Amino acid sequence: MTTIDRRTFLGAAGLSAAAAVLGEGPFRTAGADKPINFSGWVFKPDTVKDYVDFYNKKHGGQVKYEAVPWATYHPTMETRAMAGEVVDVMYCNSANRERWVDNGLIRALDDLPGMDELKKKIAPASLDSIKSKDGSKTVALPYFNSLFILIYNEPMLQQAGIKAPAKSWDELMEHSAKLKRDKISDTPYLPNWNNSGSGTMPQFLSDCFSEGANVFDAKNRLVVDQEPGAAKAMERWQKAYKDGLVNPEVLTKTSSTDTHRLFWTGRYAYHTNHSYYLKTIAGEPENSKLAPKKAKMAMYPGNGTTHMFTEFYTLNSKTKNLEDAWKFMKFLGGNLNGDWHVQRQWCLIAGLDNPYPEMYDHPEVIQSYDRWVDLKLLREQYKKGKTIAAFKEPWYSEYDSKAIAIVHNIIRGASTVPKGLKELVALQRSVA
Amino acid sequence: MFPLVYSLWLSFTDVNLLRTTGPALELGGLRIPLYRWIGAKNYTQVLWDPIYWDSLWRTLYFVGAFVAEATLVGLGMALVLNERFPGRPLMRSLLLVPWSLSRIVVGLLWIGILDFEFGALNGLLLRSGLVNGAIAFFKDGWSALNILVSVYMWNQAPFVTLLFLAGMQSIPEDHYAAAEVDGAGYWGRLWYVTLPALRPIIFLVLVLATVNGFLMLDLIYILTMGGPSYDTTTVSWHGFKTTFTFFKFGPGTAILYTLTALCLLLAFIYHRLILARFEPDA
Repeated sequence: MTTIDRRTFLGAAGLSAAAAVLGEGPFRTAGADKPINFSGWVFKPDTVKDYVDFYNKKHGGQVKYEAVPWATYHPTMETRAMAGEVVDVMYCNSANRERWVDNGLIRALDDLPGMDELKKKIAPASLDSIKSKDGSKTVALPYFNSLFILIYNEPMLQQAGIKAPAKSWDELMEHSAKLKRDKISDTPYLPNWNNSGSGTMPQFLSDCFSEGANVFDAKNRLVVDQEPGAAKAMERWQKAYKDGLVNPEVLTKTSSTDTHRLFWTGRYAYHTNHSYYLKTIAGEPENSKLAPKKAKMAMYPGNGTTHMFTEFYTLNSKTKNLEDAWKFMKFLGGNLNGDWHVQRQWCLIAGLDNPYPEMYDHPEVIQSYDRWVDLKLLREQYKKGKTIAAFKEPWYSEYDSKAIAIVHNIIRGASTVPKGLKELVALQRSVA
Repeated sequence: MFPLVYSLWLSFTDVNLLRTTGPALELGGLRIPLYRWIGAKNYTQVLWDPIYWDSLWRTLYFVGAFVAEATLVGLGMALVLNERFPGRPLMRSLLLVPWSLSRIVVGLLWIGILDFEFGALNGLLLRSGLVNGAIAFFKDGWSALNILVSVYMWNQAPFVTLLFLAGMQSIPEDHYAAAEVDGAGYWGRLWYVTLPALRPIIFLVLVLATVNGFLMLDLIYILTMGGPSYDTTTVSWHGFKTTFTFFKFGPGTAILYTLTALCLLLAFIYHRLILARFEPDA
């Protein structure tokens, strides 16, 4: 009979305990040998953690998730790459992605199994967004899609005797002037003119598009100084500000989130912002006075065209575990689980859309959206969504950030519209 | 010392964090890229940029106003708290609250007070009938900049008070007694005894407040993001944006090293003006 001495017993017990703690021991599903490192900027990290746990359990993964604050997310990822650390799967925003492609931080996905099938499922405009600048490679999968929409406060319009929301910008200005005149609202219009990258400039693109203006030409050169529609949009902005129709402090709001929260108060009639913000405005009675569904979406005024963009999941070119990293990435940005698990979570929890039209046939998604938006109308608006290719240029983030000051000067009347538009063009030429 | 030297080195190079081939230092098994040396190009690029100069004048105003406000308010509060009155220990403790708060919290707190839409101050003014409509404190760039100065002063003045109080506690009572014998009143004692004895503290306060003023970034991030337009963009914010938004680490560090140079220059001037002829008691 074999005997076990005290020392051997304690050693074995210690090793078993360590294995259980570190690798979930005998309870762990058979899975990947090497862990996959996954990083994203902070947005609902508990939700991300939940679906990472789901993936690890159901698909036998060993994914380690880390959330990094938005303000330092991209520099952190680059610094880690510089130090030789490999984060296998990373969020990436549109303004930084092409630099990651150019410098070899992330790899193309076209040669990976299942990519061709995924591409067939993505709406065409968004498919362009996930391709490299020259269009030859697919370099990302979609995290989410968004576009600018017009939101209106239905009870306030009814109070003013306005039967239907504005269909044109002129009408929106007339409604706003009437609401102010009738003392129903001090500042009836809430445009997203905030000072962050998701504010003033996407709003500028949307309003220029809705006036039929091309903002960039085919070579991604800014052409707003030659576009009457851009001038018309800026003149309208100037007038809205001068006439006191907008909250004057919207220019120093630091995020689109801060801006949309103002609409919760019910003191504004119209709001233009990213589509997903309507989820909290119209769907969260605990926060918003305009929930449930007192705030509604209308088609964007003018020709209805509005700026649409995609944020991404990317795959590190130095990943040592390509098969597992790609599998996890398909779980995130594709349909590995067969039920659009991650994409669906984002739709249900945060109203974040994605570029897979078939996902919107899912009954749970339809039911959830019905609580805060007319899904049919939102899908119609997506058909009018227009992307830009200029975001793939290395100069874009600098242009986009510096342009805010020029546009704010136009809004405040510190610069005339023609002069301001020329300054924007000069800025783009100087950074390109 | 190494981060300081390395960041100074970076300001003379063409940094691209994602291109780390080329010369490098090996330090404790870590490969530290040295990037391509480009001489003073980053500095000339920065000095040719009108945004830099606009930011610099704005920064000088910000620092000047902040140093003056923080020093005077800090001194005033120290003088009050140096007197004996009921509740002084509690007041001294409460004094430290603004200074102990995270600057993010300070920013959010003041948004809650000053916001156009839901600010407590506007609510108070409107309810008391002192104004007809809400005041947009951040609408105008000049007003927004001065609010930044005041909020930062509110946050930092307690520390200045603490330093002055410590200095005042160390002044021997017999100096005041002698001044009283010579017929000096309150203001006389302040002018001829307290302030001269506080010279080293004044020097310390000016240097610390100046450096802090030049480097202040977080309140701008929370309150204005450098706007409206560039109206609250200081050199530190400009450097931060250049580095972390435009990923121009070379020019970004060059911008921030001009601030270091300015801080050193001002510390030297303060030393000459305040401490050069100061002789401490034996």
